[in-house]
Amino acid sequence: MSNDAMTSDDKQITDGKKRYASGVLKYKQMGYWQPDYVPKDTDLIALFRITPQEGVPADECAAAVAGESSTATWTVVWTDRLTACELYRAKAYRVDPVPNTGPGTKTEQQFFAYIAYDLDLFEPGSIANMTASIIGNVFGFKAVKALRLEDMRIPVAYLKTFQGPATGIVVERERLDKFGRPLLGATTKPKLGLSGRNYGRVVYEGLKGGLDFMKDDENINSQPFMHWRDRFLYCMEAVNKAAAATGEIKGHYLNVTAGTMEEMYARAEFAKSLGSVIIMIDLVIGYTAIQSMAVWARKNDMILHLHRAGNSTYSRQKNHGMNFRVICKWMRMAGVDHIHAGTVVGKLEGDPLMIKGFYDTLRETHSPQCLETGLFFEQNWASLNKVMPVASGGIHAGQMHQLLTYLGDDVVLQFGGGTIGHPQGIQAGATANRVALEAMVMARNEGRDIWNEGPQILRDAGKWCTPLKQALDVWGDVTFNYESTDTADYAPTATATA
Amino acid sequence: MAAMALVTAARLLPLTEEATVDDAKTVDLQAIVRDSNVTEVLDQLDRELVGLAPVKRRIREIAAYLAVTRARKTLGLEATPPSLHMCFTGNPGTGKTTVALRMAEILHRLGYVRKGHVVSVTRDDLVGQYIGHTAPKTKEVLKRAMGGVLFIDEAYYLYRPENERDYGQESIEILLQVMENNRDDLVVILAGYHDRMNTFFSSNPGMSSRIAHHVDFPDYSQPELLSIAGKMVSAMNYRFDADAQQAMGYYIDRRLTQPNFANARSVRNALDRARLRQANRLFAGVGAGRPNVTADDLSTLSASDILASRVFDAPDSADKT
Amino acid sequence: MMTNTNQRLTQGQFSFLPDLTDTQITAQLDYALKNGWAIGVEYTDDPHPRNTYWEMFGNPMFDLKDAAGALMEINSARKTFPNQYIRVTAFDATRGVESPTMSYIVNRPAKEPGFGLVRQEVDGRAIRYTIHSYATDKPESERY
Repeated sequence: MSNDAMTSDDKQITDGKKRYASGVLKYKQMGYWQPDYVPKDTDLIALFRITPQEGVPADECAAAVAGESSTATWTVVWTDRLTACELYRAKAYRVDPVPNTGPGTKTEQQFFAYIAYDLDLFEPGSIANMTASIIGNVFGFKAVKALRLEDMRIPVAYLKTFQGPATGIVVERERLDKFGRPLLGATTKPKLGLSGRNYGRVVYEGLKGGLDFMKDDENINSQPFMHWRDRFLYCMEAVNKAAAATGEIKGHYLNVTAGTMEEMYARAEFAKSLGSVIIMIDLVIGYTAIQSMAVWARKNDMILHLHRAGNSTYSRQKNHGMNFRVICKWMRMAGVDHIHAGTVVGKLEGDPLMIKGFYDTLRETHSPQCLETGLFFEQNWASLNKVMPVASGGIHAGQMHQLLTYLGDDVVLQFGGGTIGHPQGIQAGATANRVALEAMVMARNEGRDIWNEGPQILRDAGKWCTPLKQALDVWGDVTFNYESTDTADYAPTATATA
Repeated sequence: MAAMALVTAARLLPLTEEATVDDAKTVDLQAIVRDSNVTEVLDQLDRELVGLAPVKRRIREIAAYLAVTRARKTLGLEATPPSLHMCFTGNPGTGKTTVALRMAEILHRLGYVRKGHVVSVTRDDLVGQYIGHTAPKTKEVLKRAMGGVLFIDEAYYLYRPENERDYGQESIEILLQVMENNRDDLVVILAGYHDRMNTFFSSNPGMSSRIAHHVDFPDYSQPELLSIAGKMVSAMNYRFDADAQQAMGYYIDRRLTQPNFANARSVRNALDRARLRQANRLFAGVGAGRPNVTADDLSTLSASDILASRVFDAPDSADKT
Repeated sequence: MMTNTNQRLTQGQFSFLPDLTDTQITAQLDYALKNGWAIGVEYTDDPHPRNTYWEMFGNPMFDLKDAAGALMEINSARKTFPNQYIRVTAFDATRGVESPTMSYIVNRPAKEPGFGLVRQEVDGRAIRYTIHSYATDKPESERY
């Protein structure tokens, strides 16, 4: 790659008179490019994937992103001089070419740009404020052809201003009295059209058959075929009846997503009054609404499930938007207890290593930098609770060994179709999943090689559990083998080492 | 393991079919010994312990017995696990604890205990102070020892005939039960003075009958103790000068005849005190105008460091052990 | 009698599998020990899903090297309370967990009467639910 693609000669102008003379300067000249800058522990660091416009060098591009996401506007303003502007200026301090992009590859040249932001740029405890800065304007900025927020290092000092998950994995398990295995769930199907009474039937059958949770889908709110109150009433009858039938705590994620905060609070209160252990919201309600619901959930001993509805509109394409791991970080800060984070083997997008990165982001107390899984920064989670990832979409009992290997114990496995579509009925479908899960956990704990022996372990359990045998006969061979659109970009001699 | 491959008999035969075992079938005993690396442990025992020839002989016998029992089991000639509980008798400082550690390793390598660790306890760890205290204490110790060896030092203190309400008896009963029912799970080694152990066994026949192997640890001879001293000194990165070596010999001669002699332990204590005196000697030298000391000075024990011991004062005023 | 799939209480990790043999329990105990977890044995005659505190059959066992010690305790609990629920719980002391990490039932009463659902009709169509453990109709230690 030619040198000019990477750098330009423009130096920061330090003479105050020249620097603040009216007119337009390059962002580098304004001081947004500081290659010698060493980020402070209290800095927030963002890593952007930049595709520069033709002729714009990478460092100027990075400086522009730093400028537009902090103090700069298109022209010089003298009022900067009334402020400690050096502090407030975001500092692009590093650009690395992205491996396998640029001349000779299928992808135009991209760069990873590291930008540090001072803590004082952000309002304590506000995802909205942080995101308004970092992703507010800059994604439409003309100097970049495309821009993607890949990762962020959130300083402990800032994390400490957030509540974090209302309940967290540990307390959720204690409340549910369920330990040592993934939790099982299923989304009630069909998504649309069931009356409250019919809907509750599906919930009851699934829970009595052996699932821990049933779930509303993201777009089940309050439609003509089923008013939300009816859904809540019938679902809680189903939940309690199933709990009595099994002696286990059961739950149904009652989706309280609505048009206004007032309405969401009203629905959440009703769910609480009926004794539900969990409510649900959709990502599309927005960051502030999510934070508010997290505060409500903590105050009301409620587990808060988040469906990531809408995220793929900006998280899937590699060159523009934001990586889902950033959403994971923000949602852990915002305070949800569950988030859909991929299945690896199901019908939705997900490279195994990328998903591991998401899961680590949600579940670890401290995650080291790991380029392989897309974690560009070491992240200390400052004792924020852990978020339970949810694996949902096109998974079935026959994949149990793969799911357990990839996803571990702290996860909710959601088998919607795999439960409700069982030839012998919903209870049988639920039982098949639960037996498959328990047999696999037991085998793993016994030290067996479940990755290779998994199918045999399942067949053996199928010998005494007819529902499982039937499930394996129907779905045993279903796989979704598509190439992932989002994979890690790192060369074995890693360029990203910050 | 490889030895199994050489076993030609049907090793799953239950004992009732023993009669049908073909006498001509073979098992590779050498392979059992080789694959368990048990000789390595025996050699280590030879190296690290001076003297103790009869003990080493006994341990080799026991190891051979264990290997043969395993071979017999392989051929279906042995069904019930052998009783492996042992008693190590001898005076303090004769190597009982060290041998117990090696014994645990031998048992582990030959597959008689699963983990091979040693839990070392005395009466205080087993017996409680009030009603209901002893059983949980003893069980707690037993649970920790499972998979390994429970080494009970001065085991006879468990039994105090002079106090009929002593809780020791309760502990003994629990021990006996577990020694009988959990032969696969742990091996108990009782240790203590020879004569007191005998008294203990005579009043506790249940315990006596469950001990399969008795190993008696003789006192060390003077030359053995001197050799032990030499090993200890070099392990501490010190050395005797020529006179000190001789002085140590005198010291041992005297100490042997005095009360509370504890074999290797007394030697170690004597050396610790000699090091103190050496330090004091070097320190005094600084005051006397010899501020520089060499590495050699720092690591040499001289005769005066040893001869200053109270052992030499009077025939019956012993250096504390 | 309970009418769910296995006609039994399904709390714990392995309630949908056939009762664990001592060999299977040993393997699970080994798994816990390998992870450095303490092992507790607890029993109850009131298996209500929100009865968190079953009675402890002694304190949790720390520092075990081998499963046999815990199995001995389990069998001793079974002998003492043959007709009660007994569960094994593993505790992880790691920062960020400090909570149970395993829990499975190793003993059950011969007959499991299960639970009734008591509905109190309140305002509107809403209902307050109470799960009632049939066993608790009798006094403690006279159930089952």
